[in-house]
Amino acid sequence: MRADVVRKCTDVCRTHFVSRKISTEACKWYQAIAEKNAVVNAFVHVTNVPKPSKAALPLSGLSIAIKDNIATKSSPTTCSSAMLKDFVSPFDATVVKLLQDSGADIIGKTNCDEFGMGSLNVHSVHGPVINPFTPSTVTFEQRSAGGSSGGSAAAVAAGMCSAALGTDTGGSIRLPASYCGVAGLKPSYGLISRWGVVSFADSLDCVGILAKTIPEIRRIFDTISVYDMKDTTAATPEVREQASRELQKRLKTWPTSESGLLSLEGLRVGIPQEYFPLELSSAVITPVRQVISALKDRGAKIIPVSLPSTSYALSAYYVLASAEASSNMARYDGVQYGMHIRPPPSSDLTKTSKIYAAARSVAFGQEVQKRILLGTYALSADAFDNYFLQAQRVRQLVKDDFNRIFRMQNFSGPSEANQDGADVLIHPSAIRTAPPLTSANRDNSGLDAYVQDVLTVPASLAGLPALSVPSRASSEQNGVDDDGWPIGVSVVGQWGSDEMVMRVGEAIETLLATK
Amino acid sequence: MHVAPRLFPDFLLNTSRYMLAVVRPCRLPFSLTTRLFHDVRVYKEDKRWPGWQVIIGIETHAQIKSRLKLFSESLTSHPDDPPNTHVSPFDAAFPGTLPKLNPKCVDLAIRTAVALQSDIQPRSSFDRKHYFYSDLPSGYQITQQYAPLALGGVLNIQLPDSSPVPVRIKQIQLEQDTAKSTFNPRNLTSSIDLNRAGTGLMEIVSEPDMRSPEEAGAYVRTLQAVLRAIGSSDGNMEQGSLRCDVNVSINRPGELPGTRCEIKNLNSVRFMMAAITHEIKRQQALLTSSSLATVPQETRGFDEHTFETFRLRSKEDAPDYRYMPDPNLGELRVSQSRIETIRSTLPELPWHTRTRLKSTYGISERDVEVLLSVDSGREVQFDGDEGDGGRGAVAYFDRLVAGNGQINEDGKKKKGRDPKVAVNWMTHELLGQLAARNESFKDNTLTSGQLGELIDLVTGRIITGTSAKLLLRHLLAKPSSERVLKIAEDLQLTALSPSSSSCSSSSSSQTAEDPLFPLCKEAIAALPSEVAAVRAGNKNVLHKIVGHVMKGSRGRADAKRVREVVEGLIMGEGKQ
Repeated sequence: MRADVVRKCTDVCRTHFVSRKISTEACKWYQAIAEKNAVVNAFVHVTNVPKPSKAALPLSGLSIAIKDNIATKSSPTTCSSAMLKDFVSPFDATVVKLLQDSGADIIGKTNCDEFGMGSLNVHSVHGPVINPFTPSTVTFEQRSAGGSSGGSAAAVAAGMCSAALGTDTGGSIRLPASYCGVAGLKPSYGLISRWGVVSFADSLDCVGILAKTIPEIRRIFDTISVYDMKDTTAATPEVREQASRELQKRLKTWPTSESGLLSLEGLRVGIPQEYFPLELSSAVITPVRQVISALKDRGAKIIPVSLPSTSYALSAYYVLASAEASSNMARYDGVQYGMHIRPPPSSDLTKTSKIYAAARSVAFGQEVQKRILLGTYALSADAFDNYFLQAQRVRQLVKDDFNRIFRMQNFSGPSEANQDGADVLIHPSAIRTAPPLTSANRDNSGLDAYVQDVLTVPASLAGLPALSVPSRASSEQNGVDDDGWPIGVSVVGQWGSDEMVMRVGEAIETLLATK
Repeated sequence: MHVAPRLFPDFLLNTSRYMLAVVRPCRLPFSLTTRLFHDVRVYKEDKRWPGWQVIIGIETHAQIKSRLKLFSESLTSHPDDPPNTHVSPFDAAFPGTLPKLNPKCVDLAIRTAVALQSDIQPRSSFDRKHYFYSDLPSGYQITQQYAPLALGGVLNIQLPDSSPVPVRIKQIQLEQDTAKSTFNPRNLTSSIDLNRAGTGLMEIVSEPDMRSPEEAGAYVRTLQAVLRAIGSSDGNMEQGSLRCDVNVSINRPGELPGTRCEIKNLNSVRFMMAAITHEIKRQQALLTSSSLATVPQETRGFDEHTFETFRLRSKEDAPDYRYMPDPNLGELRVSQSRIETIRSTLPELPWHTRTRLKSTYGISERDVEVLLSVDSGREVQFDGDEGDGGRGAVAYFDRLVAGNGQINEDGKKKKGRDPKVAVNWMTHELLGQLAARNESFKDNTLTSGQLGELIDLVTGRIITGTSAKLLLRHLLAKPSSERVLKIAEDLQLTALSPSSSSCSSSSSSQTAEDPLFPLCKEAIAALPSEVAAVRAGNKNVLHKIVGHVMKGSRGRADAKRVREVVEGLIMGEGKQ
């Protein structure tokens, strides 16, 4: 696969650039893929060279990579699973169609954890993604790009595309963005259509965007954040309108300039105490502190807040996500489509399920099998009450926590506004920098990988917009833990306040750049 | 509390640590709570199994008569359609597809709930029922396990020679139909047809209120009639658009109900009744074999060749369906105004039609039953549409009796026809002729206006009954939009006697013009000995002469009038 991608890109650059079929800009991406993908393993498929469009459309000139769990007609959609190794979807996902209709080129499909299940992008039939970041101080080492949208984050970080789409179920965009040093937005649940996105856990899955800068994210977000009739969980135009009207009222209070916010007077930034556990490495905590004090310097009011249910969120998340996953994975039986495994001749074929078991035992990776078993147990009659229902109640408590501390009302469900609440929350995106790719976490992630998601799952459970902004603070201030690798600062807002989250993210971007 | 990395293993090992005191206790009805048994029916001894009470409950799956499937945009199919021609990516469970509820299916299910006086829930929801089988591409069926669309309700059933029996309805829920798998024993291969996959079903669950196979049969037939009348389902068991699972248990009168067995997938009322009968006898034999014997709870099938039930699986083998709320569909909200709109436009229910036909038209019970049984839901099209103004037999009959549907200006007098005459023409002549042509009522090309005109021509003595029957056959063979009178004239089928009004006054000029005279005279001339016998007082011989005239008129003459004319001629001649 890697060789195919490289060969194709080299080919594209040689032939099409000479014949002037593609622009210098587009050629740059293909060249980068040809040079770096053999190591980084971000792309698993590159598309044919698109026809140059004449009309100037909102996304003209952008080459966007698509995570391989988003359906495309023109290239395979494998979800990094052997189960769907040669699977080509008969339709394009709504997001893919929207991007193309707006003039963007789909450059290829990116590596990910199998069906989006993983935090390190090591559970992939295409092999792990290698973090393309190279710190100046330390000797070369292979680190994880994070997961599950590791390929998308690495592709952006390595300069292989203008931007990439990922999906985020429990942190799958924010974590790799943080590890690779790019910006990644998980929008409010229901704003971007999930039609054509291969379900992992429907109630949590969100399509999001990874790019180098926030204005680039916004440009794409504005194009794909539209109501889609085909997705019944999509926020209706009325709800979008309500949230947007309320949001505009708040945004008007800050003067802005082309280069970002001039003043943050009036902005209330909440610092959730539960998101700064003792285990947090100092390499992470120092840059976050710097961001917070820089925001304060610009006039933002910093308020400590508490989200007491946070500690239960990770457990609840893994029960709910695994339960939904076990249900969604049930369709992969190797009969209608995807990989079919013939059961060995001696096997018991008295039940249809035995034939499926043969295919599922071979074609699903270990992590997927583990989560299917976990989810199946959580849904079994004896465990449902204690696991699934209990986790649903915890999820409600997590939502209630957030609704209590935000200044804006949650228009996606019943809630009231808290006048003394925060506009956004700021916290680290991950508890550490990118973990090294050791043989241990390549083979069997154990529990460490699950803990990677601890800071990202609450926003997923509550369906809130969350943006990871890359931060690389000067190393002399960062103390002994600093390894020179990037970290991300998360900005989380009330449901529907994606634009506010991006504005604050931009302010952080500007502050860090001027430092 | 600080976030600790050991959170995850803990929840697997010991959840109770994370149970919160503030958690609202919310119990969902996964299993039916055992309730105290209070029998709604008085025990009546059945000679076939004396000393035993039979308790029967029925789960019915009725395919919703919608154009599109329940959650996808593919068209619903007919069993004769070529396999796998009505399939969308969603029906085949392609990755990335999402369900979208078809509101027409909901409307038709609400219609059913209204007809069964069921309590429609303002909020209901969908759940996934998981099992691995080749007829279920997604590995789960979307159904309404925890919060069904409607609860409660009643269906009154009527058996001959007894008072109506109310059968309570427990609930009505929406769910997806499965695909169809056909096993070929020759090459040991199963073929899957996804045409049916995802078609909307209504599961209608009765309370265990039936006490005999006959009541069970009456329940299903009555339900079929309701579903057809309101157009929510074709309700055809043979074609699989209505399927029944029956729960049967027996007990000694006054004692608690016995352990029930469920008989699955019965596809005709006859088979269902036979299966129940066999099941009662089987359980009876089991329980009488020893005082300690019990009926094991199991799911059974029915063999259509031996007419016996057989074990499919025991309670222990019952699968765990791992029900989970569907995360894509959310809540189904039904507003009161939507229910009211459906209630106010509900097509007439069979029992209302029956009462109306009897009271307004005074036609016999038998005729009413014929009209109702012919009806067969033709009235209502897909998605509950009224279609082309009612093709059903009852609507046809209504139009036939009402005349042209015109009401005189004073609003009182309808230009109507005699209902008894109309029903005779419809049930005997029209249905008879259609049957002779091997056609059913839905193939009928004769409009109610045409049949009405035909009847008017007979009552107006423009044509005779015999000619009318001939004309009817002609009209069915060669459908035409011409006036019936014109066709009758063209075919020379108009009666040979002047109109009845002119008959009574027999002035010589009119009798001379009467076309019957030449025919009658010819007969008298041809049969001299018979004429002589009549003259001698043997009036019976008149029949023979009349018959001769009738034959000559090819049915166009009115026999009564012929007799008058012939008798007048013979006796008159005699006097002369």
